[in-house]
Formats: sequence, C-alpha cells, structure tokens
Amino acid sequence: MAYEYAVELRDVTKRFGPVVAVDDVTLSIQQGKFYSLLGPSGCGKTTTLRMIAGFEVPSEGEVVIGGEVQGHLPPYQRPVNTVFQNYALFPHMTVAQNIAFGLEMRKIPRGEIRRRVGEMLELVHLSGMEKRRPTQLSGGQQQRVALARALVNRPKVLLLDEPLGALDLKLRQAMQLELKALQEQVGITFIYVTHDQGEALTMSDKIAVMNQGRVLQLGSPEEIYENPVNRFVADFIGETNFIPVEIKGDGETPVVGIGAEAVRAVWAKDALPVGRSAVLSIRPEKIALRRPGAEEAGAGRACISGRVVNLMYLGTDTRYVVRIADDVEVVVRMQNVSSAAHFFRIGETVELTWDPQHGRVMDVV
Amino acid sequence: MSVNAARLSRRSRAAWLKKRVAQTLFSTYGIGAYLFLYLPIVVLVLFSFNDSRSTAQWAGFTTRWYVEMANDRQIILSLWNSVFVAVVSTAISTVIGTLAAMAMERYRFSGKLMMDAVLYLPIIIPDIAMAIMLLIFFNLSGIGFKPWEVLFFGVRLKVPFSVIIGHVAFNISFVAVVVRARLAQMDMTLEEAAGDLYADPWRTFWRVTFPMMLPGILGGALMAFTLSLDDFVITFFTSGAGFNTLPVRVFSMIKKGVTPKINAVSTMMLLFSLLLVGISITLSKGGDSESSIDRAV
Ligand SMILES: Nc1ncnc2c1ncn2[C@@H]1O[C@H](COP(=O)(O)OP(=O)(O)OP(=O)(O)O)[C@@H](O)[C@H]1O
Ligand SMILES: [Mg+2]
Repeated sequence: MAYEYAVELRDVTKRFGPVVAVDDVTLSIQQGKFYSLLGPSGCGKTTTLRMIAGFEVPSEGEVVIGGEVQGHLPPYQRPVNTVFQNYALFPHMTVAQNIAFGLEMRKIPRGEIRRRVGEMLELVHLSGMEKRRPTQLSGGQQQRVALARALVNRPKVLLLDEPLGALDLKLRQAMQLELKALQEQVGITFIYVTHDQGEALTMSDKIAVMNQGRVLQLGSPEEIYENPVNRFVADFIGETNFIPVEIKGDGETPVVGIGAEAVRAVWAKDALPVGRSAVLSIRPEKIALRRPGAEEAGAGRACISGRVVNLMYLGTDTRYVVRIADDVEVVVRMQNVSSAAHFFRIGETVELTWDPQHGRVMDVV
Repeated sequence: MSVNAARLSRRSRAAWLKKRVAQTLFSTYGIGAYLFLYLPIVVLVLFSFNDSRSTAQWAGFTTRWYVEMANDRQIILSLWNSVFVAVVSTAISTVIGTLAAMAMERYRFSGKLMMDAVLYLPIIIPDIAMAIMLLIFFNLSGIGFKPWEVLFFGVRLKVPFSVIIGHVAFNISFVAVVVRARLAQMDMTLEEAAGDLYADPWRTFWRVTFPMMLPGILGGALMAFTLSLDDFVITFFTSGAGFNTLPVRVFSMIKKGVTPKINAVSTMMLLFSLLLVGISITLSKGGDSESSIDRAV
C-alpha cells in the first residue's frame, strides 16, 4: 500500500478541434477499488480511459498513476492494462499466445510465463482452450481471454471499456457477477466504463457519473441513488419524479411550495434563493398513498393530495400514476404487502406522504 | 371453388413454365460463355500434342513438340530471362508497394490525395501508353537499355535495367492496391492493444501489424510475379535490341508462322499461371475472412 490513490486526474481537459470531449475533470481513484465511469453516449468516458492508458494526451491537466505524473509517457510504459470494447484479440495468435503477449514483451522468463498463463486460464475458466484461435471462441470466452490477457500482467490499474457491451443479457449478468468477484479476488483497481446504470450499481464501489465531458457526482451506488446532486444524475440513475416547486424558505431545511401546499425538503446540493422555481426529486418507492382522513400521517411527513389516474399491477408492487395538479403527475410504487386496504382505484382521491429527507430540491436543469 | 382452383393451377403452371424457360435460357447462356472462354484454350492444349506441323488438322498424339521446346536454346534462355525479371521486379515492387500502401493507409501528409490518384495510374492507363512513356523516358534520361550481366542459377543472362525498372513501375501499383485493401480491413485497435501490452512501436509492427499484413503482401507479390511473367507490351518496348522474355520470344516465333511448338510453350505458361493462381487462392484463404485479392481487384 504505497500510495492511497491508484489514479488521479488533475484538471484534465481533452479537446478534439472544437469538440471538448473531457472538460476539466478532477478525480481521485483509490487503490484496490472498483470504479465505474457512467454516462450517456458521447459524454467522454472512452476519452478519459484512453488518457489514463496513454493513447491520448490531455490538452490540459495531468494524469497521475501511482503517484507518478505520466505526461507524454506512451502506453507501453504505463503500468495499466486495458480490456477493449471489441476485445482486440490478436487473430493470428492462439489463446495462450494472446495471454502471454504482455509478459513476453516484458521479457519475463519462459517458465514463469507458462506458469502465469496457466494460472490465468484457470482463473477465467478457460483451461483446455489455450491452443484455440480467438475466432474459435464464443463472445463470452473471447471476453475472458481479453480479461486474462490484461490481468496476467498484474497491472496497478485495469481499464475496462464497456467490456460486456457485445454480450447478450443473460451472459452479461453472469459476467457482471464474475467480474466483480474476480476484482475482489485479485485486488487490482478496476476502472470500468459503462452507460448501463444497472451494471454500474451492481458492480461498483464508487461511481463517477459523467455528462458532456464533466464528472457530475462521485459516490457509492447508494449515495448516487439516494442523494443525487442534480437533475441529470437523479434522472440517469433509476426512476424518479420531478415535481415543479417554488422555494419558500431557504434555511438549513428548505420549504417548497407545490401549488398551494408547502412541504419541507432537503437541498440536493447548494441552497437556492427564495422565490426561485426548482424541482423536487422523489423516488417512486419513497412515496406512500393513503385514503384522505384515514389514520394520522406519521409525524413530520410531507403530505399532498391527488387523484389516481392510472395503475399497473406488477406482482411485488403496484405502480400508480397520481395527478397532483392539472399538468403534474407523480409515479408511486407501493409494495403489495397486505390486504385490500392498500389498493387504490383509478379516479380515487388519495393523499401522498413521504419523509421530507427523501424530497431533494434541485435546479430545474 | 373448383373453378377457382382450376384457374389457380393454370396460373401456377404458367409461372412454372416461365421459370423453366428462364432456367433453360440462362443455363444455355452460361454454357455458351464458358465455351467462348475455354474452347480456344482446349484447342490450344490439344494441338500442342498434334503429330503434324499443321495446327488445323489432327494427325495423332505426340509429345515431340515438348521435347523440341525443351531443346530450343532460345526458348530456354528467354524463359530464364522471364523468371529473372519477374523475381527481381517482384522483390523490389513488393517492398516499395507495401511501404506505399502503409503510408497511404496510416499516415496523413500533404499531397496525399494526389499521390493516391497517381499511385493507381499504371493500373488504369493502357499498357501501350505506359510502354511508350517508359521508352521515351529511358531514351531522354540517358539510362538507355544497357544490360546487366548476371549469373542466375548458373545461367549467364544479360538483362537490361530498363526492363526491370519498367516492370517495377507497373507492379508497385498492384502490390499497393492489394496490401492496402488488407490494411483497410485490419482493426487498428489491435495495434493499440499491443502498445497497451508493453510492445514498443517496433515490436508492435513485427509482432502484430506485419503478420496481419502478410497474406496481403504475399498476395500482392504473387500478383506482381504473375503479371511480370505475362507481360509483353512493356517488355517489348523497354528491352532495346536482342533481349527476349518468353512472351516476346513467342511473339517473334509467331511472325515466322504458328507451329505446335508455340502451342506447347503456351500450354506450359498456362499451367504455370494456373499454379500461381492456385497458390494465391490458398494463401488468401489462409488469412482470415475474404481474399484481399478479390477485394482489391
Ligand atoms: N479522435 C476523436 N476525434 C474527434 N472527436 C472525438 C474523438 N474521440 C472522441 N471524440 C468526441 O469526443 C466526445 C466523447 O467521446 P467518447 O468516445 O469519449 O465518448 P463515450 O462516453 O465513450 O461514448 P460511448 O458511450 O458512445 O462510447 C464525443 O463527442 C466524440 O465525438
Ligand atoms: Mg466509448
């Protein structure tokens, strides 16, 4: 444990002509953790990864690996390895030759190469396939070879660019678990690029959500899901409601107006001035429905009324669409835990209640 | 119901008939095209075994024309000349053509667009135009048609530099086209992957780029070799006096009348060309995916 951070990006910007692919990104990636770069297509994930690997040089800022500033160091002198999106296996070499390539280039003795390649084949469950060519393997097997070819070098950091993108859903889910288990086993820092939020949530220790070249939020999956800092993050990860509100009080715990009613909430990030239009973000499962005038709302719960306009029975839960104003509809997911008292009909007037901690006030955009 | 069924079956019978007619017509066309292509070759091969000086009437089987061919010192010498020119020009044009293909496919430089157009010119312009251009060039430049005296497999040859330069000039284009097609279908991330796995650019080239290019290079070289062996026009115009490759020799023999010996020589050339094409197909099948020669031509 020489240095706390495996990789640091310091004010890194990358321009391609007029296009700003990565915009002033600062990111510190801890040793031995599974990090995901998550964001929509074109947000600069691949470019970020390529700057760490050394295929691109930042226009501004620095890439630091293991405490050492990389500058213009070419890829072959950096202690990182990459799993490419299309695997980029060498078609003229066998599986074993592919895996041995990096060790050979570093002039590791033959005996040790053979031993380490054997270990790797076992680790990724490909023993017995060392003589095959990449074209004679299935997509999932090719993916494993790509992984083994990188991991065998015991890099400080493993970079993975949507490595499961080409696989079908079932294989993909199986590989997600396998990859995560593998990362814990080898203890190497993984930086994993994906645009699939489910994938990022299940695998990562930390997620960096990116958009338009910027890192919007860095945090654990729970932090990102429970405490999104702005509308983009809240929207990109999971399902959420954005209720238009007006800021009524800008103290520690703000008060916002939804139509004529006022509720308490929390700031998503910075406090906003009184009178400003904003949105209140609440996840559908955080809201509870009840019949008006029934039992007391729990102490301190926010409460507004609405009318059920649609519902969908989904087995474990029911998804209601509730209209709270002429042009505002809220999605609510209620677990189907008990009797008929919990079911509501279309057209029924209901009250929506939630813990103010779950209502996050953020800028409209 | 039954009326409908009858009408339907009449209609379907008409469709069936139409299909049969089309089938017959097209297969007849096909056979006709093949006859047109291969009948002359069959006749050529057949009459190389004709036991008569005449090439019009069959007079029984013999192999004497092949014996006569083998004993004709002029023919054998011209064969050696052909092989020598082909080997040397192929070697040179393969190296230059491959480098040109890599420059065109991988790098950006000023004047690339023009070079792109000019590189393929020798493929497009008529042989005769190129031959005359070369002839004028050798005359004006003072290079002339001086022979290069060499010992090639124990045979003393006098080969004009001009012929070799001429062959290199048109072969470069063909090699470049074939190699470039191969490079274009090659995945660039393979080279990045090699770099990522600690291979410096030099080793990346020899361990990844070159092996991937090799089928293209061999295909290009084989094509250059075949074209060089077959060439008549360029050789004829760039050889000065007294130098014959096999095609040029055959041409001068024909001027004195067609004999079955020419048929024998032609048959041998045909067989050799077939062999080369066979090798080239096997080679390109050995590389992954489709043949780079098919793609290029
Ligand atoms: N070599 C390049 N030249 C010009 N523009 C580029 C280049 N590479 C990337 N870009 C641009 O930079 C932006 C970010 O690209 P990048 O490949 O990093 O996105 P990404 O997040 O990986 O997207 P995806 O999920 O689609 O792979 C895009 O607008 C892209 O068009
Ligand atoms: Mg990408």
